[in-house]
Amino acid sequence: MLIKIAWRNIWRNKIRSLVVIIALALGLWAGTFTSGFYKGMMDQRINDVIESEMSHFQVHDTNFREELLAKYYMEGAPDIIEKIESDENVLATSGRVISTAMMGSANKNGGAKLIGIDPDHEKAVTNLDTKIVDGAYFEGVKRNPILISQKMAESFKLKLRSKVILTVQDLSGEIVASSFRVVGIYKSGNGMLDEVNAYVNRDDLQSIMNLDQDQYHEIAVLINSHDLAEPTAKKVQEMYPTLEVKAWLDLATGMRYMVEAGDTFAYFIVGIILVALLFSVINTMLMAVMERTREIGMLMAVGLNRRKVFLMIMMETLFLSMIGGPLGLLIAYLFIQSTGSSGIDLGAIGETYNELGFSAVVRPQLDLQSYINISVMIFIMAMIAALFPALKALRLNPSEAIRKI
Amino acid sequence: MNYVIETNQVSKIYDGVVPVKAVDEVDLNIENGEFTAIVGPSGSGKTTLLNMVGGLDRPTSGSIKVNGQELAGMSENDMIDFRLKHIGFVFQSYNLIPVLTAKENTEFIMLMQNIDRATRNERVEKLLTEVGLEDKMNSRPSQLSGGQQQRVAVARALASKPDFVLADEPTANLDSKSTENLLDIMARLNKEEGVTFVFSTHDQRVIDRARRVVTLVDGKISSDERR
Ligand SMILES: Nc1ncnc2c1ncn2[C@@H]1O[C@H](COP(=O)(O)OP(=O)(O)OP(=O)(O)O)[C@@H](O)[C@H]1O
Ligand SMILES: [Mg+2]
Repeated sequence: MLIKIAWRNIWRNKIRSLVVIIALALGLWAGTFTSGFYKGMMDQRINDVIESEMSHFQVHDTNFREELLAKYYMEGAPDIIEKIESDENVLATSGRVISTAMMGSANKNGGAKLIGIDPDHEKAVTNLDTKIVDGAYFEGVKRNPILISQKMAESFKLKLRSKVILTVQDLSGEIVASSFRVVGIYKSGNGMLDEVNAYVNRDDLQSIMNLDQDQYHEIAVLINSHDLAEPTAKKVQEMYPTLEVKAWLDLATGMRYMVEAGDTFAYFIVGIILVALLFSVINTMLMAVMERTREIGMLMAVGLNRRKVFLMIMMETLFLSMIGGPLGLLIAYLFIQSTGSSGIDLGAIGETYNELGFSAVVRPQLDLQSYINISVMIFIMAMIAALFPALKALRLNPSEAIRKI
Repeated sequence: MNYVIETNQVSKIYDGVVPVKAVDEVDLNIENGEFTAIVGPSGSGKTTLLNMVGGLDRPTSGSIKVNGQELAGMSENDMIDFRLKHIGFVFQSYNLIPVLTAKENTEFIMLMQNIDRATRNERVEKLLTEVGLEDKMNSRPSQLSGGQQQRVAVARALASKPDFVLADEPTANLDSKSTENLLDIMARLNKEEGVTFVFSTHDQRVIDRARRVVTLVDGKISSDERR
């Protein structure tokens, strides 16, 4: 009966209740959708980072990443790779030789990062072959082929088959130069990387730098699940305690922070909106209680105890919140699903994002856990909102309340 | 002699700039089955006295016993429970829960007492028939006239089989026909079922129907007449 009364009480002032319900629904729709938008953007970025830049984890000599010197190679790298590949979760690996270089064309000299790869292994890890916009993926040039980015092609004024001179430091620190020929031009979607990365055959780079066939600087590993990146990296680290094994989260400065902040951000947005809504719910319910002073006094006079009065008002507030909240979540869900599959094109702003490594088309998405957490947040908000009006009702004195007209 | 209501030197003083002695050392005993009107000019203390007898207010001094039980020592919660079980209330207005039908309003009190559904239904039907509203069971208060609402309130007051019914100016907002009708019902319940009624009123026609008239002046009983 209390439930019946509480439920019907909501509809006594239909407009006021509807306003609150709509406010709740709109607020949560906006908050949840924003979270989904942001999360979609972040997840895409994470996928990009993993699938075309970092892979899930990388193995280096402990000094290499800091100093980038030829001498910090890993001895017996093919054996390490074989060992890593024996893990059933590993999908692909790419062993790389890396050097900073001066790149020179007829028009310009500039810095670059030369990455010596085995083309077949590399494409399995980073899909590099799918990013070719001109020429071919290491096909058609017999001696010293090089794959450069579209950006480099423009700034160095290079075309397919153009000759480039690359100057690097070899193992002993000697400066050595050799000529390469452009075999293909790629565009990765990450402007910052495109600025510097150029790919050559690993064998070619090894021989220029005086490295042996089994000496690599970097092993990139792709596995079958993002969640397994850290545990698998840890296992490999235990096998090779003298090497440095780092999962993608720790490979780029700020990455871990960005990912974790991204999760918090979603709740932060929803939290702020909920706090604002909290006040409107409290306000509405306080008004409802004040208006019914006499009625509540009468109920207490005829024998409705304080616990039940409290419950009745609590339920009323909860019902009110629990219609609007989930409604907003539902609309947000539908929105996220539909824009998630079609994608939102950021257009002109997208170009800027692209430079920063974000995709220009955002596909909002939100996982079940987030929906559950937001629902829990709504419920907690509703409970807090319910408390004040209910306490207010409790403080009524029945004999005074019924005297009021 | 066992009284349903027994007050002993009951006083109520409202503090204020000038303290008001709303009820002044009242001794009033009410027997089972009486049909008593409390009358007196406005401000004479009728509401204050009824509220104290009904356990809604506590006296400044003196004692009140309902069915032999002293009210003074009870906690707030015990008092609510006591009201629920022993006292029926009819107020001047705002008696009913607007969102419930006549039937539900009457049933409500019994639900609070955890009375089973079959008994509830039977009693509600009987009570609403007794007050002549068998065809208005499913109407909400807003769909009922003032008189009909007061009749539902009487039915509601009787739902818990109280020791007595307290009614503070139950007819104040009613026209003469509805007043007549409500009093007919109250008098019949009193006569046929022995329900004890204590009601306050200004209305001479209501006073005329009472079998005992207690007159208050300035918080004191100035006359107490049985007829
Ligand atoms: N809460 C209060 N605080 C202070 N004084 C009060 C309070 N309630 C009532 N009084 C005073 O107590 C006196 C008795 O009031 P009460 O309401 O009992 O009179 P009444 O006989 O019921 O009057 P009426 O016929 O107008 O209903 C009045 O003087 C009134 O002003
Ligand atoms: Mg009065």
